[in-house]
Amino acid sequence: MMVTKEQVKHLGWLARIELSDAELERYTEQIEGIVKYLDKLDAMPLQQVKPIATRKKFADLRPDEPAEFEGDALGTKYRKDGFVKGPRMA
Amino acid sequence: MPLYTLGAGQVAAGVKSREFSAEEYIQQLLERIEKVEPKVNAFVTINKGAIEHARTIDKKIRDGEQAGPLAGVAVSIKDNICTKGIRTTCASRMLESFVPPYDATVVTRLQDAGAIVIGKANLDEFAMGSTTEFSRYGTTRNPWDISRVPGGSSGGSAASVAAQECAASLGSDAGGSVRCPASFCSVVGMKPTYGLISRYGLVSYANSLEQVGPIGRTVSDVVSVLNAIAGADENDHTTVGGKPVYTLQERKGLRVGLVREFIEDTDPAVAKMILRAMDTLEGQGCKCKETSLESVAYALASYYTIATAEASSNLARYDNVRYGFDMSPEGYEWNSYFAKARSSFGEEAKRRIITGSYVLSSGYYGKYYLKAQQARSLLKDELKALFKSCDVLIGPTMPILPFKIGEKIDDPLKMYLVDIDTVIANLAGMPAISVPAGFVDGLPVGLQLMADEFQEQTILDAAYLFEQAANVRGSPEL
Amino acid sequence: MMEQKMGLEIHCQVTGTKSKLFCKCRCDYRGKAPNANTCPTCLGLPGTLPLLNQKAVEFAGMTSIALGCKVPDEIAFYRKNYFYPDLPKNFQLTQYNAYDITSIGVEGGLEYGDGKSVRIRRVQLEEDPGRLVYDGGNMETSVYALIDYNRAGVPLVEIVTEPDFVDPKEIRLFLDKITSIVEHLGLCGTKLEGSVRCDANVSVGGGKRVEIKNVGSFADVEKAVRYEITRQKTMTSRDLEVRSETRHWDDARKVTKESRTKEEEQDYRYFPEPDIPTVVLGSEFVSSAQRSMPELPDARKVRFVKHGLSAHVAQVLINNKELADFFESAIKFYSSPKEIANWIVTDLMSFVDERQKEQERSMFAGLKVGPEHIADLAKLVDQDTINRATAKQILGLIVRPGEMPSQVAHKTHAGKIDDVSELAQTIDSVFETEHAAVQDATLNPNAINFLLGKVMQATKGRADPKAALEMIQKKLKEV
Ligand SMILES: [Zn+2]
Repeated sequence: MMVTKEQVKHLGWLARIELSDAELERYTEQIEGIVKYLDKLDAMPLQQVKPIATRKKFADLRPDEPAEFEGDALGTKYRKDGFVKGPRMA
Repeated sequence: MPLYTLGAGQVAAGVKSREFSAEEYIQQLLERIEKVEPKVNAFVTINKGAIEHARTIDKKIRDGEQAGPLAGVAVSIKDNICTKGIRTTCASRMLESFVPPYDATVVTRLQDAGAIVIGKANLDEFAMGSTTEFSRYGTTRNPWDISRVPGGSSGGSAASVAAQECAASLGSDAGGSVRCPASFCSVVGMKPTYGLISRYGLVSYANSLEQVGPIGRTVSDVVSVLNAIAGADENDHTTVGGKPVYTLQERKGLRVGLVREFIEDTDPAVAKMILRAMDTLEGQGCKCKETSLESVAYALASYYTIATAEASSNLARYDNVRYGFDMSPEGYEWNSYFAKARSSFGEEAKRRIITGSYVLSSGYYGKYYLKAQQARSLLKDELKALFKSCDVLIGPTMPILPFKIGEKIDDPLKMYLVDIDTVIANLAGMPAISVPAGFVDGLPVGLQLMADEFQEQTILDAAYLFEQAANVRGSPEL
Repeated sequence: MMEQKMGLEIHCQVTGTKSKLFCKCRCDYRGKAPNANTCPTCLGLPGTLPLLNQKAVEFAGMTSIALGCKVPDEIAFYRKNYFYPDLPKNFQLTQYNAYDITSIGVEGGLEYGDGKSVRIRRVQLEEDPGRLVYDGGNMETSVYALIDYNRAGVPLVEIVTEPDFVDPKEIRLFLDKITSIVEHLGLCGTKLEGSVRCDANVSVGGGKRVEIKNVGSFADVEKAVRYEITRQKTMTSRDLEVRSETRHWDDARKVTKESRTKEEEQDYRYFPEPDIPTVVLGSEFVSSAQRSMPELPDARKVRFVKHGLSAHVAQVLINNKELADFFESAIKFYSSPKEIANWIVTDLMSFVDERQKEQERSMFAGLKVGPEHIADLAKLVDQDTINRATAKQILGLIVRPGEMPSQVAHKTHAGKIDDVSELAQTIDSVFETEHAAVQDATLNPNAINFLLGKVMQATKGRADPKAALEMIQKKLKEV
């Protein structure tokens, strides 16, 4: 598969990673190389093969019993009145 | 003999018989660490509470309480496994100041068995790499030749064990991350069956592939650690079964298959060593034959598809809002805050996130991820068939000798290709171990042994048999 | 004729489970201090794993069955990948049917209103995100957002219909039925703030499909859809192109607005969640869920009709679980189902304050009347203690303070005059003032009604007409 700079730029946006021009250039080339290698999968005889998966019985799922977590699970120091401060939305 | 050279079994026995105290032992180790760390750089963080912990174990023993099968044994923990109150960085700026509010199940279980966390071991950022060069905390160096890589991603774990900075370590292995550095550092490292060991508290990189795995200088030490951590956990729904107990036993007449494809593209010096290992096993009464595993051809493509896809999604949570490094969110529009914070990921992490996003993109799921998961089924079926006539499959752990630091860092694809022999076990969810096979020009070679799902005992039997017969020399000069 | 088609995506919070979908934190997050109802798992901390709640799966299974869906032998979860500040993992765990059926219900159908029906595309289980608050409540001026993760990880059951609605009125009827079903199942307390949300899709004249998101109450869905139909028709009539887009419902201005901040469907990069094994429901799941399922509205209606209620009255009652429960409690106090049902449906309902009902999400918002009061009222009428007109007046008096009708009747002497001498006195005085009418009545039996009317007037309706008539007839013979 051909990989274009526009694709990588869009993927960078989807992944919320700021890419410099140099990074964009480099990743486009490298990812094209990697993706060409991954295209080996096309050569496989895979018509009716079920994908691998783990299974669990309904009866073994977690019973609905509540419990409180002891301790502070939030690491950030940017807080106000118990809320976490995040970047603005607008 | 200095206490830091002792294996896990010897430490526990010595501490319990009060031949020496856990505190003395830990003190010696800390001095050893201070001496060799400038050369090896195996640790990201040293546990300041280790001495205190040793004292509580000594007190338990004085008071006649049970101190556990690993009483006083110092273990290093790969820094992608959560330790309550000790920062867990994943060798990334993104988690520079992340202090977990909870212990991983494997850490709890080790401590319940009496082990002491000596420190957090270096790794490739978020376990993505095969050399430990992709760390924010510097490259870990191979204790056998500090100009060379220790392997990865659990390079700090394997190096800390090889350099006698601890008795054993926990690494994680998604595509060879325990076995590769075990091979390069000439120690024993095991990747258990998927579902045998809890991943609760292991920071996810490639969830459907990875397992926590023990590293030690001997098969015996690996068995001790494995016994402490193995078994189902209610906090990880992908674990199965009960609580197994493994033993060290001499077993004769094992059927061994040498996988032809594992030898074909391998450094001839390494290949020669593996053939010699087969002779050694035959000399011990094993029935050896050559066999073939055709699915090797697309294993790496399958592995890198799944690993990058899962990683791209796993690493999305690092947006620096709830935890991370110090960067005030005030004044930023959210998209730009996320993008700016997340540009702190290292080179390889970014590359894999974008590659993974690519293979999951609209229209490509069926072409890549789905096919890769189907390929796993094919591979597993082929292996299951082989295990009807073989108890273990063998080959080299790594197709090459430990290489120079910086040698492959600029060519990602070349770097990925060194994982060719290790990814098989992860794709099939089966157990595999790397044991020292010998040296070529002073550089370690590892023998990999694989068995069917939940046949850990068989692997350990074969590895122990080989270890006893091969008698590969012990520790590097540092 | 520009025919429109509409479909709905309804999100019901599962309030019937004790713990969240993937961790042990409580589902009941309302009224808690910010972030007090969280743990490493629902905050998306590194190393945590989802632990699927069995009861939530059972509830979703019951919902699927109630909506006539097929329940597959195995279900699975997918990651829907997108960034948003209220989403701790920056992906949402949900279900997805593009490659395999993994959602808990598919291909169902539901009858509603009068013989209408809609196809149900799927029922799925997923997690709610956290909540964003703005300092001072203002999105424009705030330099940061405040995040509360207490809600993060609460289970949602999503119900997706085919675009089978053609009239916005149908939507309201359908949502009434869905509300009643999830209330009956114990799945969702729909009266809780934010517990039900609805997205709608609208296309006019076979044109492009427009999604409307963010409709926070069922009452507004019809309004949002009407607005959108008008907007699209207006655009088409002016030869403007209707784009396929996602619009947001502006609750304050009651309009749909353009919005383009989030990823689009093709950007979500769905893939199966590796940390949740495929759940094998097995053949037992459906039969066991059916066994433990509470009575659903349709069955309840049948039972009500057996009590002697008309189909219409029974329908009104079961449309709203609160009303149906009220009715059932009342008939326990006094078993006169037909009388009680009529009092509830025709009389009590007229006191419901529509605005307060929406605000407080309760039929009886602001009213203190209880089942025991309506039962008492019905009893007074049944036993001829008061007449119907008086009963209505008494209902008006007790509906807000919640007093016992029999006590009010006693206090206000509203009971029928059963004292013969009191009634005789009244008749005497009517005969004295209405000479002409008395004369007429002796000759013309029809004029007797005029006298009766006067007696009733004088007693403010408290006289028993039958007794009064007899006494008037007797007195006329004496004249
Ligand atoms: Zn929680």
